[in-house]
Amino acid sequence: MLNEDRLKLMTSIGMFEKKEGKRIFPVYRYFRSDYIGKHLLRSFLGFSICWVLGTALVVLYKAEDILATLNFNEIAGYGKTYIGAYLAGLVVYLLITYWVYWRRYEYASRGMKVYVAKLKRLEKRYEMQGKNGQGGRKA
Amino acid sequence: MMALLEFREMLRSFYGKYDAVLTAVVKFAVSVTAFWMLNDSIGYMEKLKNPVVWLSMSLVCSFLPYSIISFLAGIVLVAHISSVSLELALILSLIFLMVAILYYGFQPGDGYLLLLTPLLFQFKIPYVIPLLVGLSGGLAGIVPVSCGVFVYYIIQYVKQNAGVLTNDAALDITQKYVQIIKNMMGNRVMVVMIIAFAAGILVVYLIRTLSVDYAWHIAIVAGAMTQLMVIFVGDFMFDVSVPMVEMLIGMIAAMILAAVYNFFVFAVDYSRTEYIQFQDDDYYYYVKAVPKITVSAPDVKVQKINSTRNRRREF
Repeated sequence: MLNEDRLKLMTSIGMFEKKEGKRIFPVYRYFRSDYIGKHLLRSFLGFSICWVLGTALVVLYKAEDILATLNFNEIAGYGKTYIGAYLAGLVVYLLITYWVYWRRYEYASRGMKVYVAKLKRLEKRYEMQGKNGQGGRKA
Repeated sequence: MMALLEFREMLRSFYGKYDAVLTAVVKFAVSVTAFWMLNDSIGYMEKLKNPVVWLSMSLVCSFLPYSIISFLAGIVLVAHISSVSLELALILSLIFLMVAILYYGFQPGDGYLLLLTPLLFQFKIPYVIPLLVGLSGGLAGIVPVSCGVFVYYIIQYVKQNAGVLTNDAALDITQKYVQIIKNMMGNRVMVVMIIAFAAGILVVYLIRTLSVDYAWHIAIVAGAMTQLMVIFVGDFMFDVSVPMVEMLIGMIAAMILAAVYNFFVFAVDYSRTEYIQFQDDDYYYYVKAVPKITVSAPDVKVQKINSTRNRRREF
């Protein structure tokens, strides 16, 4: 026989999976440190590639000035500024990445708790029905 | 008011019934408008101007996510520009790639803003974008909106300088490159617009999240005023010329559209606000509960008690 209460619960779990599943299950496969670490590594590579591309754009734009100043000290000064800017940008970008993925992991773990609670409720419903069913047959 | 609320509920139930079809139709409309606008403004590649090509692309886009539609529109934009200036196409490709890696690496799911911002510029109501982004999203929306403004002004730049970009054989590739970058980055109107939009989003977002009555209404007005102020300051400080009448009409239209959005998304009744206070072991809670304005959609059923058919039978 159909159990209306259980059907409602199952529908709500199905809806929850559909709406929140993408934001919870892929994230919750990892430990927090692994999840954030993976994205920090990706961000490091992404930022470095973009820095190289940006450098290419700037070097082409400033090509004449750079060629005009063939002074070693000046070029060394530019190099220090360049590396300093890269490191500062990288640190800021990695901090943003850390913050974004830390929040996403928090969201996923809270969602997972809700999901597990719903599943437990469903399991209890099955257990109760099982007991009632057995009782009925015994009587 | 009641009629409007009933209309809103009807629209909601209609969208609930046909959401898959409606979403596809909206995506198709946005894609068609975007490709048409690109072809109309900078349609220098004849193959892409063929209606069969861009209509079939729009049809495919109806079933794709907005981020992919933006990506395709970006490819069409670069392809058109490459027919005029290969250097500019290369620079744009690099900039788009950098934005894609640095911002879209986070998968923020707001690719539609990249499309909508230039489109609304074309329809002379770009000021609605900061209001809607501030009301519906977060501060991260500043990045795609700024990119959208950049894309619009690049399209304008190419449109106005197509002849110069194509026939400038006197300049070598480095000089051409330097000139393009200077013109692109030296566009003061673009810079002022980006600052105005960013400030608009910031103000709307900050006010919208305040715990005061009519926060959304205040946010809309304040966001519009902020944009106006930044543009006026830009006008005086950087000698930027923005057509005033067009801007004021656009701003009023933007406020009306934002008010409509507010009505559909955040209709609450502040007169029935309740304040609750309670505590647990760790905290005191001061809760402000504002009820939503809701009405049920009218469900009119006409029941015929004595139909003509039955009467005839009786006779």
